[in-house]
Amino acid sequence: MTGVQKTKGARIAAARVGIGGPVGSGKTALVERLIPALLGRGIDLAVITNDLVTAEDAERIRRSGLIDPARVSAVEAGACPHTVIREDPTLNIEAADELERRFPGVELILLESGGDNLASTFSRDLTDFWMFVIDVAGGDDIPRKRGPGVIRCDLLVINKTDLAPHVGVDLARMHEQALAVRSNRPVLLTNCRKGEGIDAVVGMIERDVLFRA
Amino acid sequence: MFDTATALALLQYGDSAYPAGGFAFSWGIEGLAADGLLENARDLDDFVWEHLTLRWNSMDRVLLDRAYRAGDIAAIAAIDRDAEAATPSAPMREGSRRAGRALLGVSVRLGGALSVAYRTCLADAPHLGHLPVVQAVVYRDAGLAPQAAELVSGWTLVHGLVSAAVRLGVIGHVEAQRALQSARAVLAELLAEPMLPDALPSSFTPLIDIAVSRGKARPIRMFTT
Repeated sequence: MTGVQKTKGARIAAARVGIGGPVGSGKTALVERLIPALLGRGIDLAVITNDLVTAEDAERIRRSGLIDPARVSAVEAGACPHTVIREDPTLNIEAADELERRFPGVELILLESGGDNLASTFSRDLTDFWMFVIDVAGGDDIPRKRGPGVIRCDLLVINKTDLAPHVGVDLARMHEQALAVRSNRPVLLTNCRKGEGIDAVVGMIERDVLFRA
Repeated sequence: MFDTATALALLQYGDSAYPAGGFAFSWGIEGLAADGLLENARDLDDFVWEHLTLRWNSMDRVLLDRAYRAGDIAAIAAIDRDAEAATPSAPMREGSRRAGRALLGVSVRLGGALSVAYRTCLADAPHLGHLPVVQAVVYRDAGLAPQAAELVSGWTLVHGLVSAAVRLGVIGHVEAQRALQSARAVLAELLAEPMLPDALPSSFTPLIDIAVSRGKARPIRMFTT
């Protein structure tokens, strides 16, 4: 047999994309921008959130009107946001499996981590691709701190670019340093509040995760 | 009592790092702590005793034992239905199923034959997958004897409770070791009494049931139960 043959009627498992990053960096805002952009490109979508102490993020997305609320699942992190996405991601895996069972055509599941610190990384057993969101207001020294989240993610997103002049951040230099510590692996700039830079993130998901041309 | 190979398996399956989602379940500790009913190491000892004696030993252990001895998948599913019927609290049932399915998922990915078959059975049975029943399935796949399976079941409950208390700030890490030591004595005493083959599942832990049942109504909640 040569190459990969798709069995007639076989269902391909949904791709799972993790979104991590510090508290307040804009993970939920990014998800809110990604949902309509991905749906607009015809991608069948579901979302899992890992709220730390409330169901606020899940409820915010469910009530946004952007997506069928039944396609949004919340997984409690037991006060361990690291553990639930890395050492023991079983509850997230079960939630993703359950979404695939309930929505057989789902192609992509976004998994938003609870707000965490720079050491946060996703298990490869949980996600096929994961991005880490930082923001300029958190300080332009974040990339230089070389946290595992910043270094090891498939895509680093620097959000709130509009705030750079107001918080004394040289955005170009921050971007350059982020690329340097990541050995030129992808870094994208966004302003989720205005939707700037979202197309590039969506394009990367389409190309590198869903393998669409 | 156990040979070295079994003891090592017990260490693996009874380890708090075993990835079965246990860290996300407080089984009532979070709610009782929030209501000021669980404030210190003594309260925790009482709570663990109550859980082990009035729920785990008479309910989970019985279900585990029956599921372990069940002849086929249909018989295991029947015991799972008993677990569902014998748990009046909906959040407690949901928590038990979520914990059970998480544990089963790991065993399926590790290739456990009985686990794979039972997972297939659960695909169209959303009300099944209760933790003690799944423990029987998973620990059979792991090659643990009934006694060893009971021990891991009891111990994973204990360290899950104590760990939740630490993360909620009820006790510190040294007090946690004392709590585990106390719980070991309770568990050992319970396990010394063999399960009666005709035992029926029962529990009487109203405070715990109410604490878990109120969970979803709380505005601040870190744990699944």
